[in-house]
Amino acid sequence: MKTIFGAMALGMGLAAATPAAADITVCIWGTITGPDALVNGMAYGFRDYFQYLNQTKGGIAGQKINTPLFDGRYKLDEELKNYRRCVDEEKAVLVGGWSTGAAKALRDQINTDQVPYLADSFSADVVNPEKYPYEFIAGATYEQQLLIGLRDLAKKGGKKVILLYADNEYGRGPINNVIKSGAIKDLGLTVADRIEFRYDTQDLTAQMLRVKAAAPDLVYIQASTPQAIVALRDAAKAGLPASLIMGNMYNISPAIPKQLGAAAEGFRSIQMYSEYGAKIPAQQEIDAYAQKNEVERKDVYFMKGWFKGKVVAAAIEAAIKKAGGKVPEDLAAFRKEVRAGLEGLKDFDVGGITPPVNYADHQGSKQARISEIKNGAYVPVGEWIQTK
Amino acid sequence: MAWRRILIGFVLAVAVIGIAQVSNRYTAFIIASMAAAAISAMSLNVVIGFCGQISFAQGALMGVGAYVAGNLGNAGVGLPSLLGAGVAGMLVCTLIGLPALRLRGLYFAIATLAAQFIIEYLFKLLQPWTNGVSGLSISPLKVFGTPLSTDQQYATLAVATLFLSWLVLDRICTVDLGRAFRVVREGELAARGMGIDVRRTKLGAFMISGFFAGLSGGLVGFISRLANPEGFELVLSVDITAMIIVGGLGSLPGSIIGAAFVTLLPEVTERLGEALHLASDRLSAIREIIFGLLIIVFLVLEPRGLAALFGRLGRAVKRRMSGRRDAAAKSTTVKTETEGRTT
Repeated sequence: MKTIFGAMALGMGLAAATPAAADITVCIWGTITGPDALVNGMAYGFRDYFQYLNQTKGGIAGQKINTPLFDGRYKLDEELKNYRRCVDEEKAVLVGGWSTGAAKALRDQINTDQVPYLADSFSADVVNPEKYPYEFIAGATYEQQLLIGLRDLAKKGGKKVILLYADNEYGRGPINNVIKSGAIKDLGLTVADRIEFRYDTQDLTAQMLRVKAAAPDLVYIQASTPQAIVALRDAAKAGLPASLIMGNMYNISPAIPKQLGAAAEGFRSIQMYSEYGAKIPAQQEIDAYAQKNEVERKDVYFMKGWFKGKVVAAAIEAAIKKAGGKVPEDLAAFRKEVRAGLEGLKDFDVGGITPPVNYADHQGSKQARISEIKNGAYVPVGEWIQTK
Repeated sequence: MAWRRILIGFVLAVAVIGIAQVSNRYTAFIIASMAAAAISAMSLNVVIGFCGQISFAQGALMGVGAYVAGNLGNAGVGLPSLLGAGVAGMLVCTLIGLPALRLRGLYFAIATLAAQFIIEYLFKLLQPWTNGVSGLSISPLKVFGTPLSTDQQYATLAVATLFLSWLVLDRICTVDLGRAFRVVREGELAARGMGIDVRRTKLGAFMISGFFAGLSGGLVGFISRLANPEGFELVLSVDITAMIIVGGLGSLPGSIIGAAFVTLLPEVTERLGEALHLASDRLSAIREIIFGLLIIVFLVLEPRGLAALFGRLGRAVKRRMSGRRDAAAKSTTVKTETEGRTT
């Protein structure tokens, strides 16, 4: 028991000793270590945009932005703990969360705390401005992404689709929602098969042979990068071309062409943010930042993080402007104004990462395009498509 | 149980509750999580540490508790929902234990591992009760009609439940049943020779463990307000096992110390890393490395865990203090004698 108190006293002492580095705190957590760490550019990019503002513009309205970044480890209890630290100890004006599970578990808490919360989840379950007025996401939901893929198939005259998905909420939830909505039938398509697999799968050979037997026009994967790699590898073994397969925005990782080489050629993904290195104004900012700082992840997920930084910074700026150019002393009022600032973003230019966004519906960008692996790199193969 | 120990336990529980009350939500949440984990660690220690049966189903049993408590809580049942969680855990243990306890040693361990996977799958499958992969959103627990709304309140509830659980388990482990657990652990043949019904004793340990695992899971569900299949996977069983290895096999206070250690070590490492301005990714790696290394160190240097280490330290301090007292008393006597002779 002595250890308990000793460690607690040490922890609390250190907490108390942590200086308040700035008047404005945007608190972030991501999967720094954990199963989906491959996409943690979303957290780094978010943090780095504020560092960029601090270094080039002295922050926002002359106030430096403090951006503590924690590791959620893709574990619910860890994320819930991080949230409490962000809100209570760090006094964050906005919290950048990670998983769908945490966004759902925290819904009531966020309503009570009245703190704006920008999740990295794309689950439709966390977007409801009336019920959850403080929860925001940064793009099209998984359901909307799937519909883009299906619309593309219908447009090209395809008829049969196979839905291949992980056996967790991230995999099964959106698939069930889209099927229930009747949208697939409305597009004149049929679901030839639904194949569920373990999220930690290492082999999908049997599933790919099943796909081959059904001879679909499209296989849509609702899973993350590691599973997409397994699917593409085993599809090649079964003699199926990568061009038959399409994934969501979490399958646009450079790891896929890097690990699979020729077996990944033709694989398509839903792309919601411009690729890293695109010729857009936001990339110029990133390049300027990269001259003096190390960029942890040079991928599309980092671009998403940068995107989030831009919209949140604009909301904070609007809140400060409304308060007469000063940071409101009352944190609760400041949080409310930041929320209002986010909702008030209309045709906001995000430097080309996505088309201009409106945040009244708490989603921001609802546009996406299809990207294809050509010569080992993702190349957009169409224009931005409105998902709604 | 000696009244002195009960009193010490009570005073410690009250002190921790006091800390939770004056702390912010972050600290209160950690205290609540730590207390819930400690209940689970104690329950696993009954099976592994006291009865010598290795079980890997702890995570799933906690999950059963979380779902049952969540459903009961959502239906408006108050505190009894935690009891319901315990009973459900016990029933599931009976179902697993009746066939599995025919097996011994590693075979039993593998059977519990299979049970863990089956139950995990059922969490995803039994949609009407579990809400499938989406997870079950849980309403705040109502105590006497008033919903608990703050982390401080949940910390109070969790620490109070931990204290009561410790009282009950400590009692069980000191009566005949507890002694039978230990005899079975030391040798089933010898236990049979002493007239102990080995199968019944093992089933008893497993059922008692299941009750408290379910209770702990119920608390976890209410604290996190969500029960989802990913929260009760094998890794949770491994975490709880780590707690009793670090704390001390066959020791209830050791389970509590182990739970506190495993819960707090990452926090302390994180804060130290932040004070040293270490980058997040490095900090996470260091956190994991320190945790792994410490487990290895304990296994090699002190397999009986922190409880034994503290016990030894306590005895050493006592010896030194009594040695000083003896020396002081001796010198006083000598001084008095010398003075007596002089006068």
